[in-house]
Amino acid sequence: MMKALGSTRLSRRRFLAAGASLAIGAIAAPHVARADDPVLRITGWGGKWGDVMKAEIGPAFESEFKCKLQTDSAFPYLPKLQASSRSAPIYDVLHTNSNEQWAAAEMGLVEPKVDPKLVPNLADVYPYAVSDKIVGVSIFTSAIGLGMRTDKGYGSITSWKELWDAKYNGVRGGYVIPVNSLGQAFLMMCGTLFGKGQTDLDAAYTALEKLKPIKIVDFTGAMEKMLLSGEVGLCVIHDSGIYRYDGQNQPTDFIAPSEGVLSLEQVLTITPGSKVKELANAYVNYMLRPEVQKRLAETVWYSPANRKVKLDAKYDAKLLTTPEKVSKLIQVDWKWYNERKDEIDQRVNRIFRA
Amino acid sequence: MSQAPTQRINGLALFILPSVLLFALFFFLPIGLMAVMSVLTGNPVVAPRVAFTTRHYARIVDDPYYLEVIWTTLRIGLLTTLVALAIGYPLAHWMARIKSRTGHALLLMAVLAPMLTGIVVRTFAWMTLLSDKGVINQTLISLGLISQPLKLMYSETGIVVGLVHIYVPFMVLTLTGVIGRIDERLEQAAENLGASPLRAFIEVTLPLSLPGILAGSLLVFALAISAYVTPILLGGFQIMTLPVLIYQQISANFNVGFAAALGIVLLLISLVLVIAYNRALGLVSGQRELQ
Repeated sequence: MMKALGSTRLSRRRFLAAGASLAIGAIAAPHVARADDPVLRITGWGGKWGDVMKAEIGPAFESEFKCKLQTDSAFPYLPKLQASSRSAPIYDVLHTNSNEQWAAAEMGLVEPKVDPKLVPNLADVYPYAVSDKIVGVSIFTSAIGLGMRTDKGYGSITSWKELWDAKYNGVRGGYVIPVNSLGQAFLMMCGTLFGKGQTDLDAAYTALEKLKPIKIVDFTGAMEKMLLSGEVGLCVIHDSGIYRYDGQNQPTDFIAPSEGVLSLEQVLTITPGSKVKELANAYVNYMLRPEVQKRLAETVWYSPANRKVKLDAKYDAKLLTTPEKVSKLIQVDWKWYNERKDEIDQRVNRIFRA
Repeated sequence: MSQAPTQRINGLALFILPSVLLFALFFFLPIGLMAVMSVLTGNPVVAPRVAFTTRHYARIVDDPYYLEVIWTTLRIGLLTTLVALAIGYPLAHWMARIKSRTGHALLLMAVLAPMLTGIVVRTFAWMTLLSDKGVINQTLISLGLISQPLKLMYSETGIVVGLVHIYVPFMVLTLTGVIGRIDERLEQAAENLGASPLRAFIEVTLPLSLPGILAGSLLVFALAISAYVTPILLGGFQIMTLPVLIYQQISANFNVGFAAALGIVLLLISLVLVIAYNRALGLVSGQRELQ
């Protein structure tokens, strides 16, 4: 007897095939539905920044602008952008620190300025955010100063120069200057403290020699951990690296030295070869919106660049939210620094070798 | 009329073709590209005008700092290899000669257990032991044996300790296979002819295990000189090795050409050392195939 074609009997094989198809369909459906949405490829930090971007800020942008946000948080970004084609860059918007943005601009990888006509919120930012020391626009800044343990009886610290005090030998912390923005900014501060100014490299090198013994790390997160564990007692750090542990009863505090705090800017730039320039500008504008700035500032303790942002009292008291506070920021001439980076790296690598 | 010879495709050649292609694609091509990049002024794929240059190599030769970095890398590699061999050989010998299956299994588990944990985790574990606030220093301070922490981290010693812990299993596993294949009756014959157990080992077992020593040492040396995580974390950036310098040139200086030149120098030095090591061992053991 021949088996009837188109039999409706549900065999185990058919059941499994149907089940698998349904499962694949259910998983793929949202992706298929959004396949036509334009994709904006950006870079961004991990940690709390990444969490709030993924959970709130990013989805809200996607919903409003009917697009897909694709974030690369695997640092370093610039070598990847450098290796990609100029006409089809790997990112549309590059978010990184100012020193790298200057290097990217010098290589022609990012546009040096953001157009105020396309980014209206640019009109509301503090002057430092679009100064001649900035490529693109700084959306946030941190203050680089000193971090200290409050349980070691060090007393009151008011000056950068106290980092050189012999009593901090063995518990002094700094950065790998060739790879870290804070370390590079601190080197420039050494020139100011002990020489004729930021560009006095000889004075800076002599000061760095005298700073030994010092424990050096490549990343601010590592410095936070060393300070929290007591491995270092006094170190160079940015304010958000201390304030983000607010409410956890950690015996640490941030010191804004009397000579001024250095600026650690979070900068956005747009790549010249981006195929979604309109969306890229919209993203930069969105990141400067007061409500977005407030949410991020109160999550990661970054000082917002938009003058119109009103933070809650707890944050307002500590972050740089007024023209007077912002005026204490010292910006580094990264263009000058990057032109001499190889020479500086060779010298500081020698200074800090064991 | 002569019949054209029919050529049959070798089945073995077809079998190894995917491996050859894979090897060419992921080994020869990247190294070739690296060699090309090391003599160019920029990346020809993205830069409009690129020329040939020897400036990257000249920079390495002209500045003694880079020669010091190369020597530091080799020194750490050689020390790690020697210590791993000194620890690994007795262990491998024991594993190869143990009669109890349970004992062999337990030893194998002991050797393999650390490999079940990632390199980063193991290095952090060493940091908790060796740092100023680590277990060793704090114990010694609490016992009153020292007043200031010993400098166990941020030194070459710390790096070698970390690397040896990571790479000893590679040495042991390589040696166990070779020693296990040596006929025990050869040692017994030497002892029957009047040799002491030590002399039998030195005259018989050790020379016969030289291929294993060579393979294990080369493996550990290659891994040690290319290590990045352990020198960074246990050296605290104060010990500069070539992989660290190469990463620095790519990630922070964006100088791919110079990084490629450093990579080629590391490759050439390793190649020379491997050939020299091979010949030296061959001469010592009298095994012509090693020369």
